[in-house]
Amino acid sequence: MDLFLQQLINGLALGSLYALFGLGFGIVFATLGILNAAHGTYASWAAIIALAAVERLNLPFIPALLAGIFGGGLLALVVDQVAFQPLRRRAGGGMISALITSIAAWIILDSLAGTATGHQSLSFPRDSYPDTIFFVGGIPLPAIQIITVLSMLVVTVSLHLLIRRSRFGSAMRAVGWNQTAASLGGVNPRYVVVITAFLAGATSGFAGVLGGISTNNVSFHLGEGLMLKGFAAVVVGGYDDVRGTAVAGVALGVLEVMTAQYLSSGLRDGITYALLLGFLLLRPRGLFGSAGFSRA
Amino acid sequence: MTSSPAAASSPLLEIDSVDKHFGGVAAVSDLTMSVEVGSVAGLMGPNGAGKTTLINLISGLLPSDSGAIRFAGVDIQRSQAHVIAAQGIARTYQNVRLFSGMTVLEQVMAGCYIRRGTSLWASFLGLPKSRTAYKAMERHALELLERVHLGHRAHLLAETLSYGEQRRVEIARALGTNPRLLLLDEPTAGMNVQESSEIGNLVHSLRDGGLTVLMVEHNVRLLKDFCDYVTVMNFGRLLAQGSPSECIAHPDVQAAYFGKSADAERIRARR
Amino acid sequence: MQPLVDFWNAYRSTLTFALVNSFFALSTYAVLSVGILSFATVTFAAFGGFLGVRLVLQTGIDPLLALPAAAAAGALLSYVIALIFLRLESHWMALASLALILITRVLIINVPGTGGVNGLSVPVTLPFFMFALVLLVAIIIFWRLSASWYGIAARAVREDAAVASTLGIAPRRIQTVAFVISGAVGGLGGMLLALALQYLSPDTYFVNIAFTMIAAVVLGGSYHWAGAIIGAAVFTALPVIAQAIIPEFQDVANGVVLLLIMIFLPRGLIDPRAIRLHFAARKAVAQAPRDATSPAAGGAP
Repeated sequence: MDLFLQQLINGLALGSLYALFGLGFGIVFATLGILNAAHGTYASWAAIIALAAVERLNLPFIPALLAGIFGGGLLALVVDQVAFQPLRRRAGGGMISALITSIAAWIILDSLAGTATGHQSLSFPRDSYPDTIFFVGGIPLPAIQIITVLSMLVVTVSLHLLIRRSRFGSAMRAVGWNQTAASLGGVNPRYVVVITAFLAGATSGFAGVLGGISTNNVSFHLGEGLMLKGFAAVVVGGYDDVRGTAVAGVALGVLEVMTAQYLSSGLRDGITYALLLGFLLLRPRGLFGSAGFSRA
Repeated sequence: MTSSPAAASSPLLEIDSVDKHFGGVAAVSDLTMSVEVGSVAGLMGPNGAGKTTLINLISGLLPSDSGAIRFAGVDIQRSQAHVIAAQGIARTYQNVRLFSGMTVLEQVMAGCYIRRGTSLWASFLGLPKSRTAYKAMERHALELLERVHLGHRAHLLAETLSYGEQRRVEIARALGTNPRLLLLDEPTAGMNVQESSEIGNLVHSLRDGGLTVLMVEHNVRLLKDFCDYVTVMNFGRLLAQGSPSECIAHPDVQAAYFGKSADAERIRARR
Repeated sequence: MQPLVDFWNAYRSTLTFALVNSFFALSTYAVLSVGILSFATVTFAAFGGFLGVRLVLQTGIDPLLALPAAAAAGALLSYVIALIFLRLESHWMALASLALILITRVLIINVPGTGGVNGLSVPVTLPFFMFALVLLVAIIIFWRLSASWYGIAARAVREDAAVASTLGIAPRRIQTVAFVISGAVGGLGGMLLALALQYLSPDTYFVNIAFTMIAAVVLGGSYHWAGAIIGAAVFTALPVIAQAIIPEFQDVANGVVLLLIMIFLPRGLIDPRAIRLHFAARKAVAQAPRDATSPAAGGAP
């Protein structure tokens, strides 16, 4: 029973990482209609930046974390304006042009990340982050896991309120539906796009730093791994509902850990990807998404 | 020459109480009309009357919500577009939709695809019989281009032609399928009087060759000079039917296009 | 003579991989040319590659004879995939093909006979000229396809599937044919990759190849089969060339070139339409002076 609870907590923490990353990825997917192959690199680079802040500048945990988050957001913004903005001015091309361009960004950023980490998997030094382990009824609860789950909850609620209850959120959804119509309604699409890109990069960067700490894996592999799982969370949960992404991400994390524990570790990714494929074939809009994914 | 729907032989195209809604908007509402074999039928109505929607329903690009569409007695309202094309209905588009990157000749060859007379395998292998058939089809495509007076443009990129020329390429492409019924959606839009007359003459010569034509048009002269029978739509519904002059003189049709005369009185009074 | 031999020894493997990557690019091009974005090439390659290698390991036949088997395996799998995937809307289909690659890797790890996580050693290979010969065969096939009725139908379906259907061209039928071609070429490429690497792991056929190959096709020009081969060659050779100039950053070169192409030459390096427009413009210019010297031109200012 103890093992089950322990793995459940591990699953919740891992799932929260997937959810947190997925939130950022989902915003871009639903709002900007872009399948961004480079999104994982924002997480990798956020972890690298946070690690550099700790090792080179000797910053404590929170400032380093913030540096990583900000770095992820900034990187996303730059990629959007350099790679995707020129495409927006041109009509036609649609999803595939944006995808190919995102692949270009992915190639560049992944290679640079590899160079930055010396093609190795780096770790955060033990004293750079809260490494206390609480014990509740004999079950270990690492502080970093608590932080991960709480962060995911806070970000999910904030984003949900932003998207559904604020004027900016309405603008985001308008731009996602139809940029021209939105601008006719008084929205400045460029401003919305830039802020959205930053938010998406920052959120995924958040997941990257926490992920880099908890998995001891600061490298371009980090981003790639989160990318695939976050993508699954977005599809299964519903591409345009952040609550769905959060629920799906956590659920996938729990399922993965339980599968590895009770079935086989080789099948661990299988359950996530099987669900991903299943939903795409049978119910593409996911658990909570709206029907009608219409893109120009 | 007027031919009423109650003629002895059954019509080539029958539209029977057809409905099409988009959300709350009734694009086509309880429409009933027919087109006789070997006639040139006109379809007119103000913008937004549902004429192009009706063409989309007939050609199979849209499914109807209710009602029946029969072509030569066969139900086609549930058929897919390529099946309908194979049965003998071809169409052109209101905003010209030629294939980007292809020459004028290639556009018409695409239209000739269903009549290629050879299997894809034979064509791929380049068998002599297949090659001969291909060359014959190329000659036929050039003939079709000659009919619309564009033979000399065969090897130009279609998108570099003028708007009027592109419309004629589209007609040649549609003729490539060897249709029994040709649906033309505003074929003379953007053309001058002489070009429009040429289209009208072309339509008549096609009719004389056995083709049936249903033409969506705003050009009143064209409707009067070249159509045997006209149907008028407004707000998705049937407004009037009959000879071109009857329809154009019809008070409801005039009101639909020009507004009610009572409104005109009020405007005069204000001045 | 010696410098040529040195060059050959140094770059033979790069050339071999450029040839092998051409197959993946052609496989991606095959479906792109009917308007479908699909990453399934990688799955076809995995299926053909592992099946072909197992065939060689178990029966000891010449790897050359296993190539048709790999192609057939890929074609069969792609036919089944086409039946399922072509029902989906294009955006979801592209994502589903990505999910397919992910599942394939899990299957490779867990299915017996693939060497699991440790991988599979491939003790045989083919001489270089064989790779080139098989690519030549593939080129002839794509050339014939483009020059036949299938080529016309494919271009129509890609440009405007709705209009094509009203001309009697059944889009789903043409797209299914495209999938089968893609599967055969992909399976073939998978086997050839196995023979070139002489080692297979679960990561051999994964997301990396999928992304780089679609990028290569678009870079080379997605409107002609030659574009796929040029793109694959560039993507394979560029990092090697870049290594001599900017070591440490050679992989970045591909991304930068791709980005530049997407911004300035979005239809890729080989674009039949641009070539036609260029020749039409040249012809117009050549005719203009002739027209100007005609008597009717008169004394225009």
